[in-house]
Amino acid sequence: MANLNDSAVTNGTLHNPKTQQGKRQSTGCVKNGISKEAQQNRKAYAEDKPVFEPYQEAPLYVYVLTYMGYGIGILFGYLRDFMRNWGIEKCNAAVEREEQKDFVPLYQDFENFYKRNLYMRIRDSWSHTVCSAPEPYMNVMEKVTDDYNWTFRHTGKVIENIINMASYNYLGLAGKYDDSMVRVKDTLEKYGVGVASTRNEMGTLDIHKELEDLMAEFLNVEAVMSFGMGFATNAMNIPVFVGKGCLILSDEFNHTSVILGSRLSGAVIRPFKHNNAENLEKLLREAIIRGQPGTGRAWKKILIVVEGVYSMEGSIVNLAQIVALKKKYKAYLYIDEAHSIGCTGPTGRGVRELFGLDPEDIDVYMGTFTKSFSGSGGYIGGKKEIVDYLRMQSHSTTYATSMSPVVAAQLIRSLKITMGYEGNIGGMERIQQLKENIKYFRRRLKEMGFIIYGNDFSPVIPVLLYMPAKVSAFSRFLLKKKISVVVVGFPATSLPEGRARFSMSSAHTREMLDTVLEVVDELGDLLNVKYFPLKKSGRAILYNKEGFDNEASFEEMHSEPEA
Amino acid sequence: MNVGVAHSEVNPNTRVMNSRGMWLTYALGVGLLHIVLLSIPFCSVPVAWTLTNIIHNLGMYVFLHAVKGTPFETPDQGRARLLTHWEQLDYGVQFTSSRKFFTISPIILYFLASFYTKYDPTHFILNTASLLSVLIPKMPQLHGVRIFGINKY
Repeated sequence: MANLNDSAVTNGTLHNPKTQQGKRQSTGCVKNGISKEAQQNRKAYAEDKPVFEPYQEAPLYVYVLTYMGYGIGILFGYLRDFMRNWGIEKCNAAVEREEQKDFVPLYQDFENFYKRNLYMRIRDSWSHTVCSAPEPYMNVMEKVTDDYNWTFRHTGKVIENIINMASYNYLGLAGKYDDSMVRVKDTLEKYGVGVASTRNEMGTLDIHKELEDLMAEFLNVEAVMSFGMGFATNAMNIPVFVGKGCLILSDEFNHTSVILGSRLSGAVIRPFKHNNAENLEKLLREAIIRGQPGTGRAWKKILIVVEGVYSMEGSIVNLAQIVALKKKYKAYLYIDEAHSIGCTGPTGRGVRELFGLDPEDIDVYMGTFTKSFSGSGGYIGGKKEIVDYLRMQSHSTTYATSMSPVVAAQLIRSLKITMGYEGNIGGMERIQQLKENIKYFRRRLKEMGFIIYGNDFSPVIPVLLYMPAKVSAFSRFLLKKKISVVVVGFPATSLPEGRARFSMSSAHTREMLDTVLEVVDELGDLLNVKYFPLKKSGRAILYNKEGFDNEASFEEMHSEPEA
Repeated sequence: MNVGVAHSEVNPNTRVMNSRGMWLTYALGVGLLHIVLLSIPFCSVPVAWTLTNIIHNLGMYVFLHAVKGTPFETPDQGRARLLTHWEQLDYGVQFTSSRKFFTISPIILYFLASFYTKYDPTHFILNTASLLSVLIPKMPQLHGVRIFGINKY
């Protein structure tokens, strides 16, 4: 196993913007990734080191019951298909016209089996119409169905003040108009809504350059390029970095956009097990020894692609190990920080900061502006030569329109808040509040006995439900209690691993979280999804330091022996 | 509803049979079927075993060797559309654990049925024909082969 740089730390303080003149300030860092200045503060970082543990697995009977549920659903699906074909039951699904029965069919009937027989029964758990900003409290239009989820209609009523655990509003920057958005409104009047041109033509404005310089400063890299669409940032730019004769080592849980970009590149793709550095090292060694398949020649490039926070698992990449392997085997590292930028690390600079690594340890920084920064689009950052190459070669710069200037203005606003520009401490307050909320919520859910995936620093908290009927029941019950949550099931997940995902936000208050936890506690008992209930402790549990000063809490503790 | 958002598997059919607890569920399902048949008053024990074997093999033939494609749309543009579920298993690699298990299980059921029918000639012929109907398509030599064009399109 490679020697890990677990003691590596880097300067996390904010740089003076005046000294940023197109070149990364590296006075506080040295080449091997150890910063002399920050070494004195190592303990402070060590206390917050993420810990990687395997997940709990549900008892075997849970899996057996899940498969039996799917099996029964499939048999009933075949029965209903039979009834529809023979006219016993009304057929709401799309069918070929009788006059065209001798033609080649327009679509494969069997490929719709899952959707019309299994997904249709529970599809009211998704696709709600949101009619407000995705703030901590949001509004949803009420919808009802008259034909068992084949069609819906809106009643005209609005369900108001729903606690929003579904949006990726990690830093709480997506909200109604307020004073900090004056510049965004002014930009709309000055620039309009869009340029309708590509970056390589007339689509590059000064506001784009301002955004990219600010993001480069935030990431502590030489240069950054922004794109108008987050998904396309991966799909259109990975083919520019690697091509035929290259190898991509991709984590098995990478996002669909990464997979699409990898396929479009024409490179050989080999997935490694999720967050498994041993498996990755084995693949790297084998790739270098054997070379390209058939010819045995050396690979032109080897690119490791990982994500900072995995959106479906909630897990955080073990970046220290990945970087050690990258250096040992001389591969390149591409990290997708869509969910981690802005909300992980002491100042929100992502998993690189969380692990205290040198900015030069990662070759390509990719992220989106759609989560913590409450905008749209994505960016790629790194060395100036990489970004300059991207400006000429990227598919997006030739074919896609540039980012809307209004979105760029909103992103500049979010970045300045997060970076603490002009003495604004709101960003650090949001990041700290988000951490507190994450720790509190995760701890309470674990104590209730739920199976939680992901890392303790991750703002995505998947709660494992396993059975598809429980997935939809979970969603419906919570919506009735005015709580919104995203549920996921097969085929988006593995067959037995249906889950609900809570997305934390710094704008959630303690009262909101307590309300959600109370309802989830009740629902966990109702649905029997507390697979590992802990034995109740007789002592009152203090969840924060202020509890010692709280008179009621002390009273509660003191009255314990009487009971 | 997108396939593989959480696990990046293009075709979940390749790994479903490897999931934790899947083999146990299959064994319990066959056991449940047998108990149900044993509970029918008019069926004697040999008839129950023969019916268990035949129904199990019929179901295995339909779901693993007759049904082609996937019940959901996959992002590989229909590559698996003409493959049976058995041919999709484990990316088509032969002699994996799942293939061994699902090849041996009908044989074990056949042994049990033969034993409990006391090797009666009529039951023996029925059981053997039923076993061959699910064993022949599982042969590695017949991967992707359509004898006489059976189940070709």
